[in-house]
Amino acid sequence: MNSSTTSQTFDFRDAIHPNRLAGIWRMMTDFRVPYVAATVSLAISALAKTSVYLLLRFFADDVLHQGKMIGSTMTQTFLFIGLGFIGLALIEGGGSFLSGRLAAYTAEGITRRLRDFLFDHIQRLSFSYHSATPTGDLIERVTSDVDSLRRFFSEQAIGVGRIVLLFFINWGAILYINVKLGWISVITMPLILWVSLWFFKRVTKAYEDYQAQEAVLSTTLQENLTGVRVVKAFARQDYEMQKFEKDNWLKYVKGKFLLLMHSLFWPLSDIVLGGQMLFGFIYAAFMAINGEISVGDYVAYIGLLIWLIFPIRNLGRVIVQASTGMVSYGRLMDIVKQEREDLLGGRVQPTGPVRGEIEFKDVSFIYSDGTHHVIKDITFHIKPGESIALLGSTGSGKTSMMNLLPRFHDYTDGQILLDGVDLKDYPRKYLREQIGIVQQEPFLFSRLIRENILYGVGRSVTQEEIEAAAKAAAVHDVIVGFPDGYNTIVGEKGVTLSGGQKQRVTIARTILKNPKILILDDSTSAVDTETEASIRQALDDLMENRTTFIIAHRIQSVMKADQILVLDKGQVVQHGTHEELVTQIGSMYRRVYDIQTRIDEELENEIARAN
Amino acid sequence: MPDELLELEEEEHTSQMTFPVFKRIMGIIKPHWKWVMGFLITIGLVSGLDAYFTYLNKEIVDHGIVLSDRAFITRIAWIYGSFLLMQSVFVFTFIYLAGVLGERVQYDLRKLLFNHLQDLSLSYYAQNAVGRLIARVTSDTGRVSELVTWGIVDSVWALMNIITSLTFMAIINWRLALIVSVIIPIMILVATKFQKYILVEFRTTRRTNSKITGAYNENIQGVRVVKALGREDANLVEFQNLTSTMYRSSYRAAWLSALFLPTVQIIAAFALGAIVWYGGVEISTGFITIGGIQAFVSYLTFMMWPVQDLARVYAEMQHSIASAERIFKLVDTQPEVHNRADAVEAKTLLGEIEFDHVDFFYEDRKPVLTDFTLKVKPGEMIALVGPTGGGKSTIVNLLCRFYEPQNGLIRINGRNYTGYTLESIHKRIGIVLQTPHLFSGTVRENIRYGKLDASDTEVEEAAKIAGAHDFILTLEKGYDQNVGEGGNLLSVGQKQLISLARAVLAKPELFIMDEATSSVDTLTEALIQKGMEALMQGRTSFVIAHRLSTIRRANRILVIEEGRIAEQGTHAELLRARGHYYRLYTQQFRHELEVQYGVADENGNDRENVTADSIVMKRDAVAAD
Repeated sequence: MNSSTTSQTFDFRDAIHPNRLAGIWRMMTDFRVPYVAATVSLAISALAKTSVYLLLRFFADDVLHQGKMIGSTMTQTFLFIGLGFIGLALIEGGGSFLSGRLAAYTAEGITRRLRDFLFDHIQRLSFSYHSATPTGDLIERVTSDVDSLRRFFSEQAIGVGRIVLLFFINWGAILYINVKLGWISVITMPLILWVSLWFFKRVTKAYEDYQAQEAVLSTTLQENLTGVRVVKAFARQDYEMQKFEKDNWLKYVKGKFLLLMHSLFWPLSDIVLGGQMLFGFIYAAFMAINGEISVGDYVAYIGLLIWLIFPIRNLGRVIVQASTGMVSYGRLMDIVKQEREDLLGGRVQPTGPVRGEIEFKDVSFIYSDGTHHVIKDITFHIKPGESIALLGSTGSGKTSMMNLLPRFHDYTDGQILLDGVDLKDYPRKYLREQIGIVQQEPFLFSRLIRENILYGVGRSVTQEEIEAAAKAAAVHDVIVGFPDGYNTIVGEKGVTLSGGQKQRVTIARTILKNPKILILDDSTSAVDTETEASIRQALDDLMENRTTFIIAHRIQSVMKADQILVLDKGQVVQHGTHEELVTQIGSMYRRVYDIQTRIDEELENEIARAN
Repeated sequence: MPDELLELEEEEHTSQMTFPVFKRIMGIIKPHWKWVMGFLITIGLVSGLDAYFTYLNKEIVDHGIVLSDRAFITRIAWIYGSFLLMQSVFVFTFIYLAGVLGERVQYDLRKLLFNHLQDLSLSYYAQNAVGRLIARVTSDTGRVSELVTWGIVDSVWALMNIITSLTFMAIINWRLALIVSVIIPIMILVATKFQKYILVEFRTTRRTNSKITGAYNENIQGVRVVKALGREDANLVEFQNLTSTMYRSSYRAAWLSALFLPTVQIIAAFALGAIVWYGGVEISTGFITIGGIQAFVSYLTFMMWPVQDLARVYAEMQHSIASAERIFKLVDTQPEVHNRADAVEAKTLLGEIEFDHVDFFYEDRKPVLTDFTLKVKPGEMIALVGPTGGGKSTIVNLLCRFYEPQNGLIRINGRNYTGYTLESIHKRIGIVLQTPHLFSGTVRENIRYGKLDASDTEVEEAAKIAGAHDFILTLEKGYDQNVGEGGNLLSVGQKQLISLARAVLAKPELFIMDEATSSVDTLTEALIQKGMEALMQGRTSFVIAHRLSTIRRANRILVIEEGRIAEQGTHAELLRARGHYYRLYTQQFRHELEVQYGVADENGNDRENVTADSIVMKRDAVAAD
């Protein structure tokens, strides 16, 4: 595991809280001290900035006007004051840098462990959750929502802090100079804050609208580009140009509206802020002439006032943005609060491999959402090393039944015994190590072929072993035919493998995994006829000495099995060997058998007709 | 995902401004020069006024307060106030002009690129991934328009601000202003360096981010495999490597950004320290006033904004120029297939079509068709069969004149088809693709694509002929049903029926179809066959065939292997020959019936009807149609 961090272990389930702010605060576990330190640095930085103007005041009033000295001479005094300005700038800059760095440390640290947690959490969520959740939605949450939370920590929370601190420290300084001046300087502040909140809410909506139009435009563009043959074949270039023109123009119009909002808000708020500032300047100037404040007071005041009033205008923006961070928190917690699968827990903790004896006793399975039985009262017994075929139509429950063995789902009634022990007593991880699955639609990862073969094998394997497995799976020759051999990347960035080639890579993977129980889920149906024979051979070899489940809808694929279960609507309608079942006239098995025979006859007739 | 990575790589390209590129970029805004002048003048005024306000503050102190001149302060208040009002008018003007011009330039560029893309040949599309072309039209245009509007605004504002500030500083005290003018280039230099480092980290961050999204995506899509193989722990370790890289680069980018402004400001503070010290020493000589020192403090404090803007514009400019170059390159690309100067309109395609010793290769120069010769009589139906990569699609591409042969001729009505205009050929062709392509919108709009001015009745008639009418009526909103992006709310079979109807409506003289290989349910399959039948009547047709019923119906079957005709003849002739076709056919025959059985099997309620007889009957029904 990664050692460069101390906080990998935070469990985000502890951050679930009905109050979003409280939840976000919990998320900050281990990072609260740096974040508070970031805020303190920010305050120090703001104080230093304010002190620049107070030093200027001291310079004007005490040194220039009253002739006070630091050190022995005036020259020395001026040198000290000059150094003072530099010192204050160093403090201000240092504080500002430190606060930025600490905020980044917090934001990036929390984000990293959040990403890690979500990644791990999602891969440990149940099968049912994944079946019910669209990938796009999950991706959207783990990317954009995580990013908006990141910005909440790195920009918005600290941004609100910055503006509030600047305001109060500068206001405090002005109040210290003169209370009356302090109060007249903030007359328009509530108005500005209100208008800025109102504006940024509106402008955020207008911006979303603009972005939505951008998405429309992209879709039009994408469809045009991917459909270029259709466009050309129908000679619809002009029509497409008009269509694009419409969307393009609408985006321009929406952009113009957005710009109009901005071009009104900024100068109008400038007038209010500028008016407030000018009023302060002039009022203070008269106070200075009247002797209510000193020249130094005045000089400091005009510096402080700018830092007091202008940042407030941005407060609305930061607050509106921060609220999207809060929404993201909620959307992420929706994922976090889902139950994980327990991979390690189990009443037995076996160490060696299973023998592979499996017994189903009246096993039923109902999905949690309905009363509808997916499989019902299934009973059979299979000895180690035997093969059993499941024949039935899609939806008859074959695959669902097989999902029970690795405990992707747990059966709801009856009992499944593996080597005489209840399946639910085994840890899921152990079970899955004992079972090899060759799926109907093989899934490869976009990484090296070697890595794909090694995927999930979980022990160190030599190149010879890999090649032996690939040879056994009849895919070695294909692989060495690629320019980079076993180091060829699979997928869009590398080579595209055919369905049959992918299938054989997954078979090689299963050979290396060397499981005691094998599930072949319609493994040859997605494969073209030419490669079917080589895959069938590879599978036959693989089945030796393993308890094997064969899911199929072709007689050819099931007839050699030791037992055959014919499934219909989740129930076993026939059970026996090929020889037994085929004699049961009028049975489902017999019907399927007849069709296949008929096909052969038909073909012969067809060819005979041609001759 | 790979597309996105390509784009990110592309974005990292930078380019230096050269004069021709500069001229072309300026050419983009030339038609809008009034707008440009408008925001240049107003931003200049805004910038100048910003500096002037600080000067006015100095005047208030030095003349108003120190001399207790109330009338002077009142006068300044009026000047200040009216300038503030004027400035807000200028602010409105420059935001509006620059912003709207930015949108306008984007609009113009997108239009230019899109329209140009419509003219480009298929070969261009084959060489350029769609993702890249989209990036051209969206992000590249955005970046260029940003450069010619806000890029100009920001740099003009910054330059004007620096110049006017320096001018006022020089008016106050030219010797102290000299100190500042030495400091400013240093500030800009440091700022530019910072921006570069930050951009580098920022781009690493984006690249890693894209990989993280890819990792999430793959792990979620492959979650069944992950679980079955118990790979959770190893996956997490791999993912943590990615997030660690991400952490390092984004943390670095963030703290570099946090270091940037303070550094610039500290440089300014040294100047300020020097000025206060030097000015203070000399203040009794009238060398400088207290108001003057205050003004210098202000000017130096706010100097970091123009400096930051200049550095940012400069750093981004190199990427924007690279964007502009890519845009210009696309615009300069000429379509490979284009109308010849003396091209005439093809009056009909219903004549003899002849491939005369045609050679063809794609961009990779590997020969696809060699010495390919074929004569097709009007009204004939040709089925093309054979292995993937044998050249079937290429024949169709050449026939549609998406590409033109490198050697040899294709004749229609005895005339080289490059002598006809593209439009006149294309409008007489009807095409149905293997993966049917629909556009967002309703079913009706998609069918109408075949004939834009077709009435609703015509659309429905076409759908009836194509056999799509009945299924369309079963949709919730019938013809007004939305088909989703790319038609993905419909099944492949349904999409193919709609594209058949679209082709029917276009009343083509030459019909081309690439049959879907993916299994379509039996009923839809029968409908598609019927639709094809209707379309082929009285037309010449080429079908890349996968279904036996289609193949059997053809007047002539061509087995295409390695760019040549390996065998040709009728179904019976070829079966008798017991060659390539015989092997393909028996394989397909077995496969198809098995699939048919399997498909009928997939609909739970049909199961009772699944007997050998009913299967064969269905098949015969399909074949007989």
